[in-house]
Amino acid sequence: MKNGIRTLKRIENIKGWLLSLPYWIFASIFFGYAFIWLVLLAMSKWNFITPRKMIWLKNFIHVFQDPMFWTVTWNTTRFMLYYIPSVLVLSLALAIALSKAKHFGAFFAMSFLVANVSSGVAYSIVFSKIFSSTGPINNFLYDTFGVVIPWFTDPTWAMLSIVIIVLWKFVGYYALIFLAGLQAIPKELYEAADLDGATKWTKFFRITLPLLNPSFVMIIVLAIGLSFGIFTEPFMITGGGPLNTTQTFMLTIYTTAFEKYKAGYAAAWSIVAAAMSFSIIWVSRKLIERDVSFS
Amino acid sequence: MGESQAYRKRCELFMKKNKKVRSIIFYVIMFGLSLIWLYPYAWMVLASLKPASEIYTRTIPTHLTLKSYSFILSVGDEMGFPFVRGLLNSIFISVVITLSVIITSAIVGYAVAKVRFSGAKALFNFVIYQMLFPGFMFTVPLYIVIRGFGLLDTYSAMILPGLMSAWGVFMFSQSFKSIPDDYIEAAKMDGANFFWIVFNIMVPLSKSTTAIVTIFTFMGVWDNFLWPLIVMQNHSKMPLAVLLAMFNHSYGIYVGPLLAGSVIQTIPMVIIFIIFRKYFLQGISMSFK
Repeated sequence: MKNGIRTLKRIENIKGWLLSLPYWIFASIFFGYAFIWLVLLAMSKWNFITPRKMIWLKNFIHVFQDPMFWTVTWNTTRFMLYYIPSVLVLSLALAIALSKAKHFGAFFAMSFLVANVSSGVAYSIVFSKIFSSTGPINNFLYDTFGVVIPWFTDPTWAMLSIVIIVLWKFVGYYALIFLAGLQAIPKELYEAADLDGATKWTKFFRITLPLLNPSFVMIIVLAIGLSFGIFTEPFMITGGGPLNTTQTFMLTIYTTAFEKYKAGYAAAWSIVAAAMSFSIIWVSRKLIERDVSFS
Repeated sequence: MGESQAYRKRCELFMKKNKKVRSIIFYVIMFGLSLIWLYPYAWMVLASLKPASEIYTRTIPTHLTLKSYSFILSVGDEMGFPFVRGLLNSIFISVVITLSVIITSAIVGYAVAKVRFSGAKALFNFVIYQMLFPGFMFTVPLYIVIRGFGLLDTYSAMILPGLMSAWGVFMFSQSFKSIPDDYIEAAKMDGANFFWIVFNIMVPLSKSTTAIVTIFTFMGVWDNFLWPLIVMQNHSKMPLAVLLAMFNHSYGIYVGPLLAGSVIQTIPMVIIFIIFRKYFLQGISMSFK
């Protein structure tokens, strides 16, 4: 009997390893092996053709000496400063509005969400036409106020315009994360607060905001990741210009590796960018994450 | 000061008495915002149907025409941009990857959740660990790996790296964990083999997870731009997104055809979204994405 159990256990063990084997193989190639290449590349000078040369940490020193690195860091910072506060406010407001809407709620939610399923290339093309100097937005502005805004062609406007179209894409998505958070807050809390004579704003700041903490954390983490990984919009619309004001990390990594053929240098950039996004996520989690329990 | 306060009081009273007015204002604003959010779609579709000279000049065109569509689908081909082929490529790549992700994630997810083997915990931790890494870190090294296999500019270059997904494994394992072992034991008694259990019991019992993984994987592949942009050179093997971007780069002045291409690129996603919106919403409210 004991032997039988042992054999069964052994069979389960073999079965588990066999079933997961394809995944281990897949991950060791496209994750493990790729990761080794990443580290190796970051310490090499290589143009994809001539023999690779180890230069150890020189790439990283060059990254920090590269004025482009500081431009891109500043651009990413500006993107986050514009994007994160506005997306939090807008999506929270939308989530509250959706939770209050007794009619047409599904229609409102769908209208905002359908923006999120637009394809990056397609919506970049559409917005570059809508915001162009002769496009409908500028036509409207010119007819009513007599002004034309150089959305994507002016250094001060370009990043803001990209933030606007990314906002268009993500407000509905994040609002639904907030909405799920709102619906998880027990109604009794508000009823108890009502009995204590709490005002609308007290309830908002003392109950709603603190208990939405997990949603805030999740959206901020997603938004920081997006700020460092954004590629399609600047690539399609501005190409990083005007005057490098919309250069992003991913755009620079792409040009460095596949237009300037500096594979090693690009790998060093990706590691630095990943490290930066990790630290910013880590710090903001430390700052805002609270242990929330509904009891 | 006193006057404005009195005015505010009167206003508040008025608002309280007229809840209806408030709710009408609320709905007007919400409809207005919804229309603003839908505007880019409406403009794209309408502009793709306008005669070329009216795209920027008239809000409501004098007549509708399919010229932009026939241009991009036939003339595009002659200019070296085979858009029909591109559309078929996109469908092919997205369907293959989605099917593969569903099948492999279900099997590996089952191993994590229901097979008691010595590596189960390690596998689960590894999957979570993998999800922590941002995709952009791997762009350059993955290119080297694919290049090393001699696969640049092939369908395999676009398909292979997507065949399995850590996120998919995670989603399925979480869902399978909540299914009681009794179902599996009963099926085993009846002599069901492993694959039958996974695909005829576990997957059907995890309908929403399956739907969520399907939708997000399909949309992710359909919308993937950077990776095929890097590994593909041959226009006839490119997915629609990259072909459209290339066309935009070389022939940006053909606004009508570009917008027609954008409509073709967007519509499959919108249709899938509308059909599976219930699962899309569920997918968003789940904490892990």
